[in-house]
Formats: sequence, structure tokens, C-alpha cells
Amino acid sequence: MPSSSSHAEPDPSSVPSDAASRDASSADEAANGSAPDADAAPAPSTTLGAIHEPQRLHPLTLLLRVGASLPALVLILFPLLRNPDSTENVTSLVLAVMYGVFALPAILLQYWRFSYRITPKQIVIQSGVLTRKNRSIPIERIQNIQIERNLVARVLGLAKVKIETAGSSSTEGSLEYVSVAEARKIRQVVRSFQRGATDADAAPEAEAEEAAVETLFDMPLRRVLLSGAFRFSLLYLAVIFSVLEFFNPETLMQRFMQAGRLEWLSGLVLRHPALAILATVLVAVVLGWISGIAVHLARYYNFRLWLDGDKLRKRHGLFTVTEGTIPLDKVQTLILRTNPFMRAFGWYELKVQTIGIDVEEQGHRVIAPFASAERILELARRVRTFDLPDAFAHVSRLTIRRRFFRYTIVLTALLLPTVYFWPADWLHPGGVALPWWGFGLVPFILGWAVLQYRNHTYAAGDDGFYIRRGVLSHYLWIVPVDKFHVFHVTASIFQQRLGLKTLFVDTAGAAGFAYPEVIDVPGDEADTQFTSLYRRFQQLYRARVETSTGAPDTRLPPEERPRLPTDTPTD
Amino acid sequence: MSTDASEPALSDVAAGEPIRSLDPSIRSVWMIKMAGLSVLLFLPALFYDLTHLFSPDSWLPFGVLSGTVLVGATLYCLAWPRLRYRAWGFALRPEEIYMEHGVLQHVRTVVPLRRIQHVDVSQDLIEREFALGRLIVHTAGSRSSDVVIPGLPLPEAEEIRDKIKRFILEDPLIEEPV
Repeated sequence: MPSSSSHAEPDPSSVPSDAASRDASSADEAANGSAPDADAAPAPSTTLGAIHEPQRLHPLTLLLRVGASLPALVLILFPLLRNPDSTENVTSLVLAVMYGVFALPAILLQYWRFSYRITPKQIVIQSGVLTRKNRSIPIERIQNIQIERNLVARVLGLAKVKIETAGSSSTEGSLEYVSVAEARKIRQVVRSFQRGATDADAAPEAEAEEAAVETLFDMPLRRVLLSGAFRFSLLYLAVIFSVLEFFNPETLMQRFMQAGRLEWLSGLVLRHPALAILATVLVAVVLGWISGIAVHLARYYNFRLWLDGDKLRKRHGLFTVTEGTIPLDKVQTLILRTNPFMRAFGWYELKVQTIGIDVEEQGHRVIAPFASAERILELARRVRTFDLPDAFAHVSRLTIRRRFFRYTIVLTALLLPTVYFWPADWLHPGGVALPWWGFGLVPFILGWAVLQYRNHTYAAGDDGFYIRRGVLSHYLWIVPVDKFHVFHVTASIFQQRLGLKTLFVDTAGAAGFAYPEVIDVPGDEADTQFTSLYRRFQQLYRARVETSTGAPDTRLPPEERPRLPTDTPTD
Repeated sequence: MSTDASEPALSDVAAGEPIRSLDPSIRSVWMIKMAGLSVLLFLPALFYDLTHLFSPDSWLPFGVLSGTVLVGATLYCLAWPRLRYRAWGFALRPEEIYMEHGVLQHVRTVVPLRRIQHVDVSQDLIEREFALGRLIVHTAGSRSSDVVIPGLPLPEAEEIRDKIKRFILEDPLIEEPV
């Protein structure tokens, strides 16, 4: 594993940003002149595939960008299109002219001033019209080169290249757009530099890679549809409805009503409100179900995962095809996820938490969107070996009580104000204000708390920490010992009263929604686990330092400190 | 590995090593900061009381609101820093930083030295008056990735920083076998 001390920050030696565009050309000259000198020294063999000349993006990018800015133009001209005779159109005309004068040249200039090149040491991206940005990304820090192709890009034969590093929480550099062949070449070149492969056979190997490698997981169309069917989600529905907001619902309804087809329906709805509610719920469920299928189809169509050396690679998507890489040694945590429906039929999803973070997936990368339990475990073991413990321990039963009280208090806090402000002439079923009936949910809260308790278990194996949690979204986290990062044990005042604690072993990665916390462990048990987990980590660490360096310990003065294998000179 | 467990060198997480308190003057720092916040709360209350001094429909007698705020804030400013100070403890051990803090939410944390990304010492205006510094330890953790130890005498904070620095790997994340 090549490594160096350099950070993925912009090279300080390169030209600082230049505010004035009139100077930019000379600055560009200087920038081009300064950086290659540093890389010009290596032998000709290392320059194989290096793109030393600054490259522009694909010319069709211009078309795409103008296309992307057209909606803004339509929005500007919208009043004009609506009633062409109004005197207020002057502003929108002026704006449109400004668009023509500024926006289009800006797109052109942006394209003109954007260049990238790849040297054996770094990728250099220069951009900016008024403020010049000069970004160097060291090759060995690159975690992932993701190639994304949306529908338009696919039609035009273009691709978007996203470069991700470990140091940053977002995409470090992005090339929008280059031709597909160029994108593949960039990835190939970077990979060969990372391997240190300077020999000439690197290139043909690249050509054959797709055929030779072993496919770990793929999903035929039927499986993708099935996976969507299990992923009922109201979230997508909410998105759909928020889009529908843009259309005027009243005119839509009126058009329906005038057609006269729905008169019997509206009559029915007025007579039986309960029926209407039921029908609405039914429609929402069906729509949520269909939208889940559609989203999964668009995202995971033609899903394929394969092993390429020490990296997992995957490609999927119907309209937007995404190709990504997951270096195996950057995997921090394995996450198995399921929901009650999927669990009933034995289906699971496998994700990993990595440190080269993809913002769109909340730091988690999907390895297998939908597979049976055995298949998922088999795949997970390919990513990392682990021994799933047989026995999982429950947290304290008191957690039911705590959760029940907490949710009931929240419910009360929500309901009481509505009871107080409920107008007298609104619905009063059974003689009391409607919100009072909300307290009928209390038994369900109890049931929910019990379910949460039942689903929350943990086990400390020799090789890691295993946590299960969640009812609707049921997670199993597998946190390997060597990825433990920071150890926390916390107790709020309510927990202190009941002698409970929360145990949390953090791993490197991005912030997410759900964390592998063990909530409400009995205090003594939590402390014991805390100590033993940390000891396990410590022992593993020491043993590894000893075997790799022969030194007895790591507590030495700096000059005698064992040099860890990563310190081995690469520079 | 099993032989390792009997070694006395294996520092115990829970007990054993002396756990140090912060510098006592941090209480004053906290008190000043809290007093500043309390004033921000007190002034609107006082404003309300004064503007409703002669209004016949005021629902509180004069001075009740601002008085309550004043008394509450004073108690808070006096008691809270002490409680907080008492809850705080930390220890720099050969392989880890151990710390515990929190009045309402009691937290114990172990940060292995090798997992530290970098260390800062910072100081704000009030802390400067008391010659205190705060040690900020950055890790790559997914939640609460920055660990802060406030209220150390500045030279000591810098000394701890330099001690920790020796352990920082060039890249704690990419380290392959260890």
C-alpha cells in the first residue's frame, strides 16, 4: 500500500488564485510551467499513460451546460410567454438579454478555463474564470474514481468523473464531462500509477479486466423488481407529491369534475368520510409501493459487483449508470439492513461504511441491495472475515419503561396544546375533542417499546462488536476490532437513576442517521464491555506492532519509536 | 496475545491511574461566560417589566419576571460551574486519553492515541485572562469526532499536545497492518 504524508489539499506551490481575469492568461502560463517541472524528472517509463498536456473537457459539455441553464431562461421568460401584451415584461426581457450577455459567455469561459492533467504523482485540475483555482490531488490519496453517466450523457457518449479521497468528506474533484473512453482511461492511468505498475503490460491487462474478473454479485431484472417491491417507501411518495405541488391541483380537479366521471365518487366520499380515509391510505400504499419499485429499478438496474484485486467495483443504474470502487481495506463497518417484510421472507441488504465518503449515500456504500441471508453473509465474508456470534445479549428490560415514558411524554406534549386550542365547532367524536382520541395510541407505544427492546441486542466477539437494532429498519452492525476508533460510555440523568448506560464504539467515517450504539445496558455490564472492548483493541494493536516491527512496545522515545509499516519510505 | 493480558503494563480503563481535574480557575471562566449569557436573558425580561410598569392589564406584578430570571441565573452561574468542574476528569495514559465529564449526560471516553488525526491548542479571550488553554483532539470518528479538554494551563496543554504528537501516525486511516 503506497502512502505518503502529503495531504489532499491544494498544492501550496501552485499559483495562488488570481482575481483579475486579464492577468489570468499569464497566471495560466505560470501554472502550466511550474508544476510539470517537478514531474518531468522521472524516467520515460513512468510517463506511460500520463496526461501531461492540460486537457479540456469534452466539447459537448458546452451543449449540456447550456441545456442545463435553459430552465432558468424559461423561468425568466415565463411572464412574457403567459401574457405577451403586458407592460411588465420589460424586466423579464432585460433579464433575458442579461442571460444572453452574461450567462452564455460565462459558460463558454468556464469551459475555456477548465483544464486537467494527470501526472504520475497527482491529478491537477485548474478552473475558474475570475478566481483561478488550482487543485492537485495526490494519486496515492485517491480512494475512488467514480464514473457517472446520466441519460443525456449516455446519449452523447459522455461521462462524469468524480475523484474521491479519504481526507475529505465530499468529492475532491469532478470532471464534467469527458468522453467515456477518456473516463476509463483516466481511471486506468490512475490505477496503474497507484499500483506502481510502470511496465508496459498494464494496459492490455486493463482491456481484458472486465471479462477476466470474478463477478461477486449481480441482480437480474426480476430480482431488482422484487427488491423494489419490498422497499415500500412513503418518502418517494412525498417527493412525488411535492413535485405535483407545482401543478395547480384545483384546476386538475375541476377538469376531472367537469368530465362528470367522478361525480358518483365525490358523492360517496361526502357520505362516508371513513371510506374516503381508507381509500386515501390504500392509494398511498399502492403509490408508495409502485414508486419504491420504480426508484429501485432506476437505481439498481443491471447491478453488478465484482472483485478487482483488493478493490470491489460495482456498476448499476437504468438512466444514470454509476461505476464505483470500494477499496477493501477502507471498509470500516459492515451493515446488514432489513425491514420486517424483507425479514419475513429472508431478504437482506448489505452496506459498508468506508472512509472515502460518498455524500449521496450518507457515507455508506451498498454492496448488495437485495439478497438472501446466506448469500449476504457469504458476500460479507468476502469483504471481511468475521464470526457471527451465536448468542446475542439483550439490553436491560428497563429500556422498555424508559422508551414508553419518553414516547408517551412526547405524545402528550404534542396532543395537549391541540386539545387546548381545538375549536368547539370542529370534530368531537364521542363528545370529546378529536385529539383526546390520540391517547388511544398509548398501548401501541408500549408495543413499540417492547418491539424495540426485542430487536436491540449485542454481542462482543473476539473479532468485533456486533449490534442489532431497529424495528422498521432493522440493522446489524459488524464493527471489526481493528476499526475501533473512539470508545464512549454515557449515562443521562434518567439512565443514572435506573443504573443504565449507553455504549458506543465509534469508527471512522461520515456522520449518518443511525449509529451502532447499545442503549440502556446495565451499568456494570456496560463498564465491563467498555473495558474488554478497549483491551481487545489494545492487544490486537500491540500484537501487530510487535509482529511487524519486532519491537516490544510502542511506548518509546520518538527516535526509537518503531516505524510502522506505513512509514516505510515511499518518497 | 493471551500472555499480554497478564502484563501489568496493560493500563486499566476503568480505574487505577490517577484521574486529573481541570485547572480550578476554569470555574471562573465558565462563570463569566454563563453570566454573559444570563445577561442576554435578563435584559429582555427587564425590558418587559419596565415597559409594562404602569399598564393595568399586566399579568405579573412588577419585578417578578426579571427577579425570577435574575435569581435563577445567579444560582445557575454559581452552581453549574462547580458541578461541571466536579464532573470533569481526564488522564493521559501511555496509549490513550481517558476523560469523563458531563453533569446531566455523564460521558466517559477513551481515545486511543493512534487514532488521533491532529491536536490543537486554542484559547479564547476570557481563557487568555486566566492563562488557560483548551486541547482539541481531532479524530476521524463518525460522531463527535472532536474531543475537547478545556481548562488546562496553557503550557501544560502545549506539553500534552507535544506528547500526543509523537504518536500521531502519518495517516491513521491508511495504516494497513496496524
